[in-house]
Amino acid sequence: MIGVYVRVRADGEDYALPVDGVLEVTELGDLAPVPGSAPEVLGVHNLRGQVIPVVDLGGMLGLDRGAERERVVVVEGRDARLGLAVDSVVEVGGLPPPSEGAESDYLMGAALVDGQLVGIVDLEALLGALVVGSSA
Amino acid sequence: MTAADHEIQEMAREEAGDCLDRIERNLLAFESGAAEPDAIDATFRDAHSIKGTASMVGWQEISSIAHAMEDQLSECRETGEFPVELADPMLRATDALRRALAGEEVAVDAVVAQLDAGPSPGTDRAPEKADAAGSNGDQGSGAAASPPTQRSIRVAAQKVDKMLDAVGETALHHRRLEHMLGERRSAGDDVAEEELDLGERLISDLQDSVLGLRTLPLSSITTPFPRAIRDLAAGEGKEVELTISGAETQLDRAILDGIAEQITHLLRNAVAHGIELPDDRERAGKPRAGRLELRAEQRGSMVAIEVADDGRGVSPELLARAEREGSLTDLLAAPGFSTAEQVGELAGRGVGLDSVRDHVEKLGGSLEVRSEPSRGSQAILLLPLTLALLEVLLCERGGQPFGLPVAAVKEVVAVTETTSLGGRPSVELRGEAVPLGDLAEMIGASAPELPDSPPAMILEAAARSVAVACDRVLGDQEVVVKGLGPVLAPIPGYLGAAILGDGRVALILDPSYLLKLPSRTGRAVARPTEAPEEAAPLVLVVDDQFTVRELQRSILETAGYRVDTARDGAEALERLSGNVTVDMVLTDIQMPQMDGFELLKAIRQSPDRSSLPVVIVTSQGGDDDRRRGIEEGADAYIVKEEFDQQALLETIGRLVGH
Repeated sequence: MIGVYVRVRADGEDYALPVDGVLEVTELGDLAPVPGSAPEVLGVHNLRGQVIPVVDLGGMLGLDRGAERERVVVVEGRDARLGLAVDSVVEVGGLPPPSEGAESDYLMGAALVDGQLVGIVDLEALLGALVVGSSA
Repeated sequence: MTAADHEIQEMAREEAGDCLDRIERNLLAFESGAAEPDAIDATFRDAHSIKGTASMVGWQEISSIAHAMEDQLSECRETGEFPVELADPMLRATDALRRALAGEEVAVDAVVAQLDAGPSPGTDRAPEKADAAGSNGDQGSGAAASPPTQRSIRVAAQKVDKMLDAVGETALHHRRLEHMLGERRSAGDDVAEEELDLGERLISDLQDSVLGLRTLPLSSITTPFPRAIRDLAAGEGKEVELTISGAETQLDRAILDGIAEQITHLLRNAVAHGIELPDDRERAGKPRAGRLELRAEQRGSMVAIEVADDGRGVSPELLARAEREGSLTDLLAAPGFSTAEQVGELAGRGVGLDSVRDHVEKLGGSLEVRSEPSRGSQAILLLPLTLALLEVLLCERGGQPFGLPVAAVKEVVAVTETTSLGGRPSVELRGEAVPLGDLAEMIGASAPELPDSPPAMILEAAARSVAVACDRVLGDQEVVVKGLGPVLAPIPGYLGAAILGDGRVALILDPSYLLKLPSRTGRAVARPTEAPEEAAPLVLVVDDQFTVRELQRSILETAGYRVDTARDGAEALERLSGNVTVDMVLTDIQMPQMDGFELLKAIRQSPDRSSLPVVIVTSQGGDDDRRRGIEEGADAYIVKEEFDQQALLETIGRLVGH
C-alpha cells in the first residue's frame, strides 16, 4: 500500500487521485462555460458560493471519448482550487505500488488492482500545467 | 523574537508612523503660515510619543532622533513661535525616522547634530508666529483641550474579506428563500412577506457595515502628497500651492492600495510639465505660484478623483490633432507619448499616462484628460466605490448569463437596422455610427444566431464606443464579484464571476476589453430593414432607474416606436415643452424632484396636452395608488410585478393606435 486514493473513472479507464489533495466530490450540475479558456476547461461551477473552474480529467490525459461526466472531484494545490470532471467515483481505498510506467506527464505510473490497471494521477504536475500554462 | 513581540513592534511602528504623518503635516503648515493655534503643542506631543514608544521597544536610534526633535520643539513651546528655518531640518529628521522605522541604517549623530544646529527660536531671524494668541492661550492645557480620540481597533484585512464573503453568501441564501417562499408570499401570506422583508433589511444593513469596514478615506493616502509636491516644486524652482479637497471621500481599500501611485504620477506631471516657472507665470499674467488641486467626490456608485492645474496646458496644435484623431485622452495615453521638451529626471507629461489608464481600467474605472492651452489641464480618474460589490447589467447570450458594470453601459438600444462602416456592421445612434458586435463572437463563445432586432448595450469610454448585441437584457443587480482563480485569471476579458440568485454563475465582462476589440467583420446581427417611419409614435419613458428606462426603451423600439427618456417628472415636462410631439407618456410613480402623480397632474392641467395618453408603470400595487392614478386621469396602470411585455405593448397600441 502506498497511501489512500480516490479512484475515479474517466472514459472507461480508472485513475487514482491522492486523497490528501481531494477536498470533496460533488455532482457536476450546471457549468458556465468560459469562452477563451483552454478546451480542457469545461467551465466554472458554483460550489456553495465559491466559483471554481472545472477541468476535464479525461481531456487532460488525452482521452476525451465523449463519455458522460457526472461527478466533480474538488482538488486543491498550488494555491488553486479546481474541480476535475469524471464519469464516476469508484471507491476510496489503498493502492499497491505502481507496477507500470507513466504514459502521460500527469501520471506517476499505474498500479494493478483486481486485474485492472489504475493510472496514478500526479496532482502537482496536473495543477502546475493548469496554473502556469492555462492556455497551453 | 516571539510572535507577541513581533506584534508589539508592528503596533509601535504603525503608531510612530501616524505620529510622523501628523508632524509632517504640521511642519508644512508652519512653513506656509497656515498652522493651527495648537500645532506646536501637538507636534511636541507627537515627538514625545515617538520617543517614548521607541525606547519602550528598544529602538535606540529612533528614540535619540525623536528626543532631539522634542528638544527643539520644547524651546518653540516656550516662545510660542516656530521659526520657519527650523522646518527643513525637522523635515529631514522625520525622513530619517521613517527610514529607521523601515529598518534602514540611519546616521543618527548627523541627524541630531543638524537638528541641534538648527536656528534657535526667538533669535534674530524673524520667526513665523503659529498664532501667538492661540498658542499662548493653549499653553499647558494642550493635552486636555485636544479632541477626544475615537477608539479604534486594527483588524487584519483578510478577516474583513472573509466577513464580506459570508455576508454575500447570506444574501444569496436569502434570495433562494425568497424563491422558495415566493408562492406563499403571492398567496397573501403576510407573515412570510414580513419575515422576508425583515431579512432583506437586516442583510442590507449588515452588508453596508461590512463594506464600511473595507473602505478608508482618501486622506489615508494623501498624507505624503503635500511634502512630495513641496520637494518637487523646490527642485524645479517652481512655486506650487497644493489644495486637497474631498479627502474624506471613502474608497475600497483594494482600490486605494494602488491608486496612490497613479495620483502621485498625475501630480508630478502637473508640477513638472503643467505649471510654469514663476517668472513665466508672471509674464502670462498669472500669480507666481501655480495652483494644483486634488479633488475627490462621490458620484453615484463611482468616485471621481481630479488632479487640476492652472499651468500651460497642451499646445493648440496638439489639441487640434487630438480632435482629428479622437480624443486628447487617447492621444496622451498612447504608449510612449510625451510632450516633455526635454527628458529630465521626471516622466514626460504623457509618459506613464498609459499605465495610469491601464490601472484604472483594470479596476473598472476610466481616465479622462482635458486641457486648455495656457489655461491648465485636468486629469479625472473615475473609480468604482467598491470592488467587492458591483452593480451589473445582466444579459443573456446562448442561454448563459453575463454581467457588465452598469457604469460602463450608456444605454440599451434595439438593433432594428444596421449600416456598414468600412465593411463592418454598425448601428446609428443619434447620427453617430457605433461599431456593432455579437457578444458571443466578441468573447469567442459559440451561440445560436441572435434573434431579430436584438437588444444591444452601448458601452462607452474615452471617446470609444461599441454596441454589444445579446439575446436579451435581464436587468441590473448588485453582485459580489469573485475572482476566477489562478487557472482562469490569465484569460483576458473578464473582471470575475458572480453567483446569481438562482445559483447560476454569471461571468462579469471587462468593458475595456470589449471596447478594445477591433470591430469584427462578422455577420450582421440584424437584417437591414426599412428605417422606422417618420410617423412612428413617440413614447416618452419616465423613470429614475436606468435599467427600467432602457428595458422599456428596448421593448418599445423593438416594437417600432420611437422613444425618448426622462429621469423624473420635471425632466419629462421639459421634454414635453420642447418642440417634439410626444404621442404618449409611460411613467413611474416614485421619482426624485417630481413624482409620477405630479407629472400626471401637470399634464392634465396644461391646456394643449390635457388629453395626452399617460400610462403609469410602477411597483406600487396598492389599491390606493391605483385609485389615485385613475383619479388623476391616468389612461392605464401597469404594476411592475405583473410587467408583461405583451400586455404593455397591447395597452400602448390601444392608446396610440400603432
